[in-house]
Amino acid sequence: MSDYTLNKLKAPRLLYWGIFLFLGFLILIGLASSAYMEHEGHYVTGMNNQIVWGLPHIFAVTLIVIASGVLNIASMSSAFNKKLYKPLAPLSALFAIAFLIAGLIILVLDLGRPDRLIVAMTTYNFKSIFAWNIFLYSGFFVILAVYIWSMLDFNVNRFSSLVGKIAFGWRIILTTGTGSIFGFLVAREAYSTAVLAPLFIVMSLLYGTAVFYLLLRVISRLQSIDIPDEITKNIRRLMIIFLLANIYFLILYHITNLYISKQIAVESFILLNGGGYTTMFWLGQVGLGLVIPLLYEMTNDEGRSFGLTITSLMVLVGGFFAVAVIIIGGQAFPLNIFPDHIILESSFYDNVIHSYTPSIFEFGLGVGGTSLALIIILILITNLKFIPVKK
Amino acid sequence: MNNRRHFLVKSASALTMTFIVPSLLSSNAQAKKPLDQKVTDKKSWGMHIDVDKCADGCTACVDACNEENGLTGFGRPETDSQWIRKIKIKDKTTEKITTMPMLCQHCENPPCCDVCPTGASFRRVDGIVMVNQHTCIGCRYCMMACPFKARSFVHETLSTQNTNAPRGKGCVESCNLCVNRIDHGSETTACEDACIKAGHNAITFGDLKDSNSKVRLAIESNSPRRLRDDLNLKQKVFYSNI
Amino acid sequence: MLRLLIISSLIFVCMASLQPSNAHDGNPHISPGKSKADSQEACVEPTDVMRKEHYLFLLHQRDETVVNGIRTKNHSLANCIDCHVSYDEKGKAIPINAEGQFCQDCHVKTATNITCFSCHAAEPRYPNHEKTISKDELKEISKIAKRIKDE
Repeated sequence: MSDYTLNKLKAPRLLYWGIFLFLGFLILIGLASSAYMEHEGHYVTGMNNQIVWGLPHIFAVTLIVIASGVLNIASMSSAFNKKLYKPLAPLSALFAIAFLIAGLIILVLDLGRPDRLIVAMTTYNFKSIFAWNIFLYSGFFVILAVYIWSMLDFNVNRFSSLVGKIAFGWRIILTTGTGSIFGFLVAREAYSTAVLAPLFIVMSLLYGTAVFYLLLRVISRLQSIDIPDEITKNIRRLMIIFLLANIYFLILYHITNLYISKQIAVESFILLNGGGYTTMFWLGQVGLGLVIPLLYEMTNDEGRSFGLTITSLMVLVGGFFAVAVIIIGGQAFPLNIFPDHIILESSFYDNVIHSYTPSIFEFGLGVGGTSLALIIILILITNLKFIPVKK
Repeated sequence: MNNRRHFLVKSASALTMTFIVPSLLSSNAQAKKPLDQKVTDKKSWGMHIDVDKCADGCTACVDACNEENGLTGFGRPETDSQWIRKIKIKDKTTEKITTMPMLCQHCENPPCCDVCPTGASFRRVDGIVMVNQHTCIGCRYCMMACPFKARSFVHETLSTQNTNAPRGKGCVESCNLCVNRIDHGSETTACEDACIKAGHNAITFGDLKDSNSKVRLAIESNSPRRLRDDLNLKQKVFYSNI
Repeated sequence: MLRLLIISSLIFVCMASLQPSNAHDGNPHISPGKSKADSQEACVEPTDVMRKEHYLFLLHQRDETVVNGIRTKNHSLANCIDCHVSYDEKGKAIPINAEGQFCQDCHVKTATNITCFSCHAAEPRYPNHEKTISKDELKEISKIAKRIKDE
């Protein structure tokens, strides 16, 4: 793929406006949901004093993890000199910006006091990984902007490799920070482990690649051009590697926990008797998200693109459930305040599995945020030259 | 002549304002720490709870805390704030059943303060762990981090707050050892008061650095321990007979 | 002698005035109801300083109070409310952030929103302290505890 130019997306007008209006409608629903939640207070949501982070956080963390991972295509071309992906690198960075904006907006709009965002951006407690994340996320925007500039502007193109390496390193630190939000928490047995950081990194690689391929397919359909076979085959190989990496870290995390006596209770909750959470884990995260895609792709030697599309979709659904099990499942299991006692009664639900029923407003906010990412991508690729086309 | 008259009227009323009115307003004038001085680490507030003295079915401490801090429920137990709660536990080995109050443990190494992105959750120099609600953005990370589930989030608009306990929608809150009352010279927290008045004397509060304080006496005459002391959080709330 | 009588009765009338009077700088009070501020000669700072910078005092004081435990009344928000809240004819406090009351008067005109009262009580409201244990009762209990310890 050495002879190419970058063009604007040339989609049929009706289709473009149809998608635009649909996404815009979903965004408006998201804004309305968030306004209602903020005005009434969080009692209208399913989140409470037991499950403090819910559906919006699942969406937000998934989007941020995707944002970090979707840049991998560009990182491979700049940091690892894989020339195959060079034409797609600017597009990959653009996707990263869009998904990061979406994830952060969902997080901010779910805050108890979103009007205090300025406080959050100017007052820092640097012991908190959250504070570092605010710095990492906003810094990532700057780096992505510089990276895209270095790739598109001929005059500074010689710096694109260096900036690409910096972006790659920043990405690793950022995803470590995201995983450490949970990894640094001593209170909950499902968290409090260093392995969550690398687990989040391989999750980002897997989901990011899946999302990238899906968006590539959508663009190729909109513009009626074909994705070169070479790219499809290469992405298939990447998916297999990342699926294996995810399985590795997941097994490592759970087996280590099973070895540690005080973690067995929460492990049997997730793996055996957690009801909905166990179903989400085995059917969603493991089955749909890891095992079935892996088995299929390993047999998909010709690299059929339709099969890869289905695989990517399955991986994303499984990924959503994976984040849900981590965030909600980790909170549903009650705290172990008295290791030598059973709690018989408590007015604060200390003795029961905490229940969580997401409200329509949280779902609206999450979907609205995802639509925001997609509409940003749609607007930018239609008005700026990012789509690589053979000359 | 006129000017002198004017001056006398003005100074008389100014003097009245400065000396008489303030003392009328604050009856508890014998503050341990003067109101205009910064709090120091000369005091280290702590609490001792003897669970054998805690009575099953009694909620005096919870009611007193609700009264003191204006915690009105909304009939929604999953989202209503609880700064102190009663728990009934059973020992796995001896099968002894005890009830006890559970509240913020005011740790010396508080996980909630470590994770707060803005530093709103902080530990005052005299040991009280509290939330600076001017800086809290309502992210609820501290609620994820607390091993004792001490924190509550305000899920709805409030309108009947107490003047001595400002609290509002969107911020996180927890027991602050009646900090307003303590700063104004009270020697007891509301929960301790109520427990004494109810005749149980299970809760004792005071200055851990004062060797004659009732909390030091309580700690020295029992063998208290901290909850989850494997976490090394060095809480200021001690429990005996668990 | 006569002059002294006139002066003292004037002072008495001013201080004991129950009528909604002019504010301390001569301007008529607009808030309905009567507040303690009606009978005061001056605020804690000169009026034009307060008008321009009351929020600076509050911003500084809130950090001093929450973080450092300084609870002097001078710039305390609770004290502002205590003085400036109006009481209706039945003696019940009108929330200070209600329409036409002290804060909203200026803040509506200047179109600046204040969020203080999402958390702070808009009228003086204190817990019922009748059930408070007295200091003497407390001393008795401490003595008993010490005696038990020494035994």
